Amino acid sequence: MTERIGVYVCHCGTNIAGVVDVAEVSRWAGKHLAAQGVVVSRDYKFMCSSLGQELIQKDIKELGLTRVVVAACSPHLHEKTFRNASKGAGLNPYLTEMVSIREQDSWVHTDKAAATDKAKAILAGGVARVAHNTELEPLRVPIHPATMIVGAGIAGIQAALEIADAGYHVYLVEREPSIGGHMAQFDKTFPTLDCAACILTPKMFEVGSHPNITLLTWSNVEKVDGYIGNFTVTICKKARYVNTDTCTGCGICWEKCPWKVVDKVFEAGMGSRKAIYTPFPQAVPKYPVIDRENCAYFKNGKCKACQIFCPTEPNSIDFNQKDEMLEVQVGNIILATGYQLFDATRIPQYGYGRLPNVFTSLEFERMCNASGPTEGKIVLRDKKTTPKTVVIVHCVGSRDENYNKYCSSICCMQSLKYAHLVMERTGAEVYNCYIDIRTPFKDYEEFYKRVLEEGGNFIRGKVAEITDVARTPNEEGKLIVQVEDTLIGKQRRIPTDMVILSAGIEPRHDAKEVGKQFGISCGASGWYIERHPKLDPVATMTEGVFIAGCVQGPKDIPASVAQGAAASARVLGKIQQKEVALEPVRASINENQCSGCRICNNLCPFNAIAFHEDRMVSEVNPALCQGCGTCVAACPAGAISGTGFSNEQILSQIEGLLLVNVDGNLTEAVPG
Amino acid sequence: MAAELSFSDEIANMMYASHGNPIRECIQCGTCSGTCPAAEFMDHTPRQIIGMIRADLKDEVLASNTYWSCASCYHCTVRCPAGIDIADMMYALKRYSMWKKSYQEGLIGPAFSESFVKMIAGSGRSFEPQLAPAYLFKYGPRGLIQEAQMATSLVFKGRMPLLPRKIKGLENFQRMVRRIIPIGESS
Repeated sequence: MTERIGVYVCHCGTNIAGVVDVAEVSRWAGKHLAAQGVVVSRDYKFMCSSLGQELIQKDIKELGLTRVVVAACSPHLHEKTFRNASKGAGLNPYLTEMVSIREQDSWVHTDKAAATDKAKAILAGGVARVAHNTELEPLRVPIHPATMIVGAGIAGIQAALEIADAGYHVYLVEREPSIGGHMAQFDKTFPTLDCAACILTPKMFEVGSHPNITLLTWSNVEKVDGYIGNFTVTICKKARYVNTDTCTGCGICWEKCPWKVVDKVFEAGMGSRKAIYTPFPQAVPKYPVIDRENCAYFKNGKCKACQIFCPTEPNSIDFNQKDEMLEVQVGNIILATGYQLFDATRIPQYGYGRLPNVFTSLEFERMCNASGPTEGKIVLRDKKTTPKTVVIVHCVGSRDENYNKYCSSICCMQSLKYAHLVMERTGAEVYNCYIDIRTPFKDYEEFYKRVLEEGGNFIRGKVAEITDVARTPNEEGKLIVQVEDTLIGKQRRIPTDMVILSAGIEPRHDAKEVGKQFGISCGASGWYIERHPKLDPVATMTEGVFIAGCVQGPKDIPASVAQGAAASARVLGKIQQKEVALEPVRASINENQCSGCRICNNLCPFNAIAFHEDRMVSEVNPALCQGCGTCVAACPAGAISGTGFSNEQILSQIEGLLLVNVDGNLTEAVPG
Repeated sequence: MAAELSFSDEIANMMYASHGNPIRECIQCGTCSGTCPAAEFMDHTPRQIIGMIRADLKDEVLASNTYWSCASCYHCTVRCPAGIDIADMMYALKRYSMWKKSYQEGLIGPAFSESFVKMIAGSGRSFEPQLAPAYLFKYGPRGLIQEAQMATSLVFKGRMPLLPRKIKGLENFQRMVRRIIPIGESS
């Protein structure tokens, strides 16, 4: 045995030492694993502290250690710490292994003796494995300074401006004709009741005119190739049928267009637009698009009113425009594709779609908006009658096993805002039916108090049903909201003119496919999974791909803006480094053994495996590979091996684990 | 030596085989009580009953008429956002109170349930003329006449037989029932 192995057992305060006899584990390793090359074995209260790290460094230098095993928490947390410590003492970092005796042992067991035995077994496995570790060097790849941001809602806009202001180029891709996202649809924003347009449009104009931002609206991302630092993205710029070089955005075309269409996207079905349109007056860019499906010219070859009336020279309307494919090079990507509203028709007992005066939250937002379909007047579906009573239903589709299990987080404040707006503009009696009022952020609770003071009624109870079938004369001609007032324990029927369903928010219907395109995955509720829920909320498991805003989970405007800025800070950090060091833990394929079955190609979650038709073998792109090991396990020919996870390493680790029987005594090594 | 079960554990155990989540997942939102068509006849709303069970208020729960008023329409179960089978919980409470012979006095529910189950176990079919007298007189003479009128028209329409009928293979059915509910055996 030529390796000189140092073993370090961490107490982690009482996290490990409370269950595992760490001193015994350390003593045992020093004595019984000496034959495996262990020359020193120590235990220490906090190995991750600087004193703990110095202990390792001192031993490496003084005892000439060639391998280090740290038995502590999960490698997820501190592998980097200990590898860096070894590196500091001149040892290749990949010759240091961590084994988990916390997550896999002390935290999940109560029997102290058995847990101590298990710690010994886990440690023995690590020692057996580390002997086979090889020196590795991280891969270095240059970072392209440009960034692509997908989705130009408030999170994407914030991120784009931060990066562009720092002097780097941004491609901002948006699928709708204008940037602005959901925030552009709102009237007021809680808790300060700022006008949404007043605070958003300056940012939109800044994006539109920024020299470092290439704005690609009415565009979709078609394909993403490459890896951190070197993404090649194919973007489809859909035909606008308007020449943006000559168009002045004067608006004559949409004034003259004779075809009215119900706007289901921006106006949430509450208002109409023309077949050639910009979604709203402050749209950025100002150029309209022609909605091909509803344009008379595209349907039957006649009309061309927009072209006839277009005052520009040359004419800006171009019916022959084609979709255009663009290819851009970027180093990092931020996904800020937002959310979609919960479809309230899925809850039949709330009557949305059947009872005309039941509105969704987005419909009500448009109704409140001064440039919306009712010019800010709160009226019933007949667009005339002002309601005298309004019931706001919380948690529609949220916190419900039958629909979305999570709390949509914005609806409480949104509903309080609606209550305020209704009382202010109509003087109507307002009832909020809620399960719990959740107002955890700055000035939110104060806003709740304000609505209470203004005379809002609050009924603690989830609405059971909304009906128009009257039981008493005073219910005639009204909507009746049936709910248990849980604070008094009585079922109540509230006759009302209008109901607002505070619908929850959910991941976009195509979030899964889009995620796959970028090599990131969705959690159980469909939101994209962040690298760490607390400590790394905007990074993803794919290097170079970041998330911001509601794609990561339900959040309001302040939180979305914060995440947009956070994601841009992460991107700027990467750009500043100019090149990035990638973990050398990668899969590689032995071409001589590869049968070309292509099983690995589709299994790879990072699209890192390419197939060479000419040689009929697969190859792993080391920069794309994240070292997950899926292909290694799947290869029927055993042709793929993972650096740092070779068969030799894994098998000797298993052998090490089996070396110990339950009594903690050394047994014969498993034969073979 | 097993510790004595709390009332809420006992009810939880009785619901063990039901399809929904355990009642400890209740968030007290009141959807069940808001939905319940019989809520106005109940001493406590279904939500309150869940809260009372969780608080181990055994005597109050057993004295409540709530679960005897349950019409078993299962609307609450369908709508419950926590996925609790509330109707099944009502059955668990009925079984429990019959088992402990502890229920509000003057309720028709227990007597009705008992005679109904006995009749089904005996003939395999429900037979209204035999079942009705058990609770018919509760409603006074006018109610009695109304019920009699309804029964007569049902008989003429052929919707109610005058003599009790039996099902085919009654033996097998009775053996099956005996395995499920040991009738008459005090447990």
